[in-house]
Amino acid sequence: MAEVHVIGQIVGASGFPEHSLFCKWGVHAGGAWKILSGSREGQTQVDNPQDEQSANWSHPIDIHFSTKGLQGWPKLHFQVWHQDSYGRNELYGYGFCHVPTSPGMHSLECVTWRPAGSLREQISQYFIGGGPQLKNPDVVYTGADRYKLTTVTMGKVQLQLGIILRNFDKYGIEC
Amino acid sequence: MAGNPTVFLLMVSGQIESAEFPEFDDIYCRYCWVYGQDWVITSGLEDGITQVTKKSHDDRKLFVWNFPLEVTFKSTNPHGWPQLVVSAYGQDAFGRDVVRGYSAVHIPITPGQHTRTLPMFVPESTSKLQKFVSWFLGRRPEYVDPKVVAQGEGREVTRVRSQGKVRVSFNVVTKDMKKLGYDTTPTDAAASTQPAVTGIVPGAS
Repeated sequence: MAEVHVIGQIVGASGFPEHSLFCKWGVHAGGAWKILSGSREGQTQVDNPQDEQSANWSHPIDIHFSTKGLQGWPKLHFQVWHQDSYGRNELYGYGFCHVPTSPGMHSLECVTWRPAGSLREQISQYFIGGGPQLKNPDVVYTGADRYKLTTVTMGKVQLQLGIILRNFDKYGIEC
Repeated sequence: MAGNPTVFLLMVSGQIESAEFPEFDDIYCRYCWVYGQDWVITSGLEDGITQVTKKSHDDRKLFVWNFPLEVTFKSTNPHGWPQLVVSAYGQDAFGRDVVRGYSAVHIPITPGQHTRTLPMFVPESTSKLQKFVSWFLGRRPEYVDPKVVAQGEGREVTRVRSQGKVRVSFNVVTKDMKKLGYDTTPTDAAASTQPAVTGIVPGAS
């Protein structure tokens, strides 16, 4: 059985219109993959940066997979939320990225997007916040029903991941 | 021939180099290593405290510690890979010790030289009144156990303010990871096989 270790951090985010952000993250993998240890989802702290534009989370990720096949390579998906001073949460972006397939250290930037509503919804979002959210969060990491959406670009999530693979060369996999 | 190895070793030599904290004058750091249940430190210190350093008066405005980190771990499983937790402390206007920032970073998994910049963050008071009282009494919000910063659970209820950065460099050496089947570098970049040099144990000096 081949094994994959994902050891790293969600470093932070940049390019979002406001500070005071947090991120809900999760990992999704195909049927041949099993998580042996580590949490498969989580939520970072809310960060309010003092002197920079970017939010810093330094949220550790340590997941140990075992797999019987290559299909369904794990994907990390994110929802970036903004928390204002009254404690209300507003969605700022969805994004996903695949876990890198080659062993070693990787610095990743995951782009994010937010659903855009009708003109009336955009105007009310400008004044009072809030905005449309996805009913089914699976759309973030699948392509199936994406054509129905209109979205707006938001900022980027930075990750620093170290990937350790085990026994892949025994099965003849080159990566 | 010796039996197949069941443990691998991770040796780290590095330093807590320097930091930038634009608003403060005197800073010192405490550090500790946080690791999973399958890991054990075979040599080196589990935690320590650096000297107190003052900011440089030139344009760089840098705090320099140049503090050595030398540790060797032994493990059977990469899960729970060690993290370095750094907490920075300074003195407030009344001369009391207050926390200036926490951060954590995993030791890089690939052998070689690595530099990391750790963004430091500090828990925030819940209300403006509490913020004033904590400033006045010198008891700022801090983590009871800084190791919380190295884990993901329970972080969703914390609100923090990030300020400053600490620069750390690592030199990483691993032993027997390849023999146990673990790949930490891509296959086409793997070094050509050389006869193993027996008799060298990282950490024994």
